Amino acid sequence: MRELRDLAAKLLSEGTVQVVIGWEDGPRGVRPAFVTDPAAARNLVFDERCTQNLVPYLSPRRAHVAKLGRPAVVVKGCDARAVAGLVRETQLKREDVVVIGVRCGGVVADPSSLEALSPATVADRCPGCTAREPHLADHVVGELPPPPPAESRRDARIAELEAMAPQARWTFWQEELGRCVRCHACREACPMCFCERCVADKTQPQWVESSPHPRGNFAWHVTRALHQAGRCIDCGECERACPVGIPLGLLNRKLAQVASEQFGHVPTDDPAVPSPVGAFKKDDPQEFIL
Amino acid sequence: MNARTITHAQLAALVTDLVAAGTAVTAPARAADGRLDYRHVARLEDAVLGGGLPRLSLKALFLPPTEPLFSFRLSGPDVAIDSVPTSFPPHVVLGAVPCDAAGVQALDKVMDWDYRDELWFGRREATTIVSVACSSRDEACFCGATGGGPTATRGADLLLVPLEGGFAVEVVTPKGEAFVAVHEERFGSAPNEADVARSRATLTGSRVEPVAPLAPVTAWLADHFEDPLWADVALRCHGCGACASVCPTCHCFDIVDEPEGVTHGTRRRNWDTCQAGRFTLHASGHNPRADQHVRFRQRVMHKFSIYPARFGELLCTGCGRCSRACPGGMDLPEVLRTIAERAAAPAGGAA
Repeated sequence: MRELRDLAAKLLSEGTVQVVIGWEDGPRGVRPAFVTDPAAARNLVFDERCTQNLVPYLSPRRAHVAKLGRPAVVVKGCDARAVAGLVRETQLKREDVVVIGVRCGGVVADPSSLEALSPATVADRCPGCTAREPHLADHVVGELPPPPPAESRRDARIAELEAMAPQARWTFWQEELGRCVRCHACREACPMCFCERCVADKTQPQWVESSPHPRGNFAWHVTRALHQAGRCIDCGECERACPVGIPLGLLNRKLAQVASEQFGHVPTDDPAVPSPVGAFKKDDPQEFIL
Repeated sequence: MNARTITHAQLAALVTDLVAAGTAVTAPARAADGRLDYRHVARLEDAVLGGGLPRLSLKALFLPPTEPLFSFRLSGPDVAIDSVPTSFPPHVVLGAVPCDAAGVQALDKVMDWDYRDELWFGRREATTIVSVACSSRDEACFCGATGGGPTATRGADLLLVPLEGGFAVEVVTPKGEAFVAVHEERFGSAPNEADVARSRATLTGSRVEPVAPLAPVTAWLADHFEDPLWADVALRCHGCGACASVCPTCHCFDIVDEPEGVTHGTRRRNWDTCQAGRFTLHASGHNPRADQHVRFRQRVMHKFSIYPARFGELLCTGCGRCSRACPGGMDLPEVLRTIAERAAAPAGGAA
């Protein structure tokens, strides 16, 4: 923690950056912090509660954050993939941000939780993590903690859903997506949903109905999930932001499995590795194309 | 009005009576994922009374996330309009949390302002709201600062206060009184006042609210539309609007025409939120609320300044859902405390 705070204070006091985006203790657990004063760097924390991905604050849509000046951002290995995603898709110049990586042993699903990291509280993305040490970073701080719990509830749940009869699976998604009120919090909190004008907000033509009825909700969620296929960096912010608790991570994870099986693509913090939708290869599989 | 009692067994029988008579009963109940929603229940056992806040507030029953306003179709050279019903069958909400019931009452003012919203009042008139005293306040709750509390009756027709073996029934409105009269055989005599007082005292406890009463906040907001505070407090806001979705009083909506084929379609009203950039985006491309902190200011201003100025009451019941739902860790009680500190600072000082 000391290393992180000292580094942040140094970057601010020497003028390398004007703001360090990290985590601090707030009234309800940890929360994003925007440190502009070197003396306030002592408020920064990193521990197993720091589940929030802070990279969405680098998105060009966050004009109020950009006004603070050149940023440094603290990232876990999973979050570093979002920096890579923004660089890969030309939303961010790598040299415009200082990336401070933290070594991570897994985080809890709920950053306001008072419970310790355990198989019951761990975030869905953590089991089996291969990104505990960020590569895309100008500085990497902290000791590497022990690995997170190994068992993935989410993969088990996906297997369960796939084993269901189609009608039962349909019923499951009808119930889950039926709760959607179309606030689009999933989109706003997502680091990779950076479109200045989302297809779901277009009205001429109206590709996606804005009404939260079953037709509109299925259109939105299928569109969102497909636009994330091979791009989602699996930070879980969409699901965490959802005010009605839709398990969006199941959709994201399933599409990531397909991207891996079909295109050998796994989310990475190397911006030079193209995403499957951003590259054409002659030997791309096409048996799923009618 | 007279207080009454009802035992758990009689309450169960009452639910069964209502459902058998074709009256829908909505209560907090577990969804498939284990969380509470206001849902139709067939039996009292399916309801979770006093178990905490449902995911969405009670407002969703009166202003659904989407609803048709009318449908239209080409009819020869003309367009024919088919209206939707504005009267609704009788409906009972059992186990409303007091801060949700208060939210519905606060909204009656705006819904009967420049025009009377027939759909809102159609549902309001058809619905009897039976609140249950709250026993689940947490650190995000601040109902006390908004004039509410665990046994507040605002917006309720009846309030149930737990007693050994059942509830004391506080009759709040003439509609509540009429409801008791119709189901007279289910209700017992007046409760022992000492028992009720003890139950109320247990629920109220010695809790210190995270926010002081909000009059100084309202006063400060009136002349601090422009203030450096806004950019500071809203940095972590994603503009996602999760707060507005779960809020018992946020009521902004969008109106859309949805064609269903070439010759007909439906005009619908859908929830919207001032936290979204597109909410104020003009057709010209200009956006008078271009930055997120300005949108956040709008939310605070509307709840604690604009609505009080126009209607004489806050547009917030202190339920704390916004803080719990926020993915960015925004905390409305903290923002209100910060404003209260500014309001208390001497003029020309830190403010």
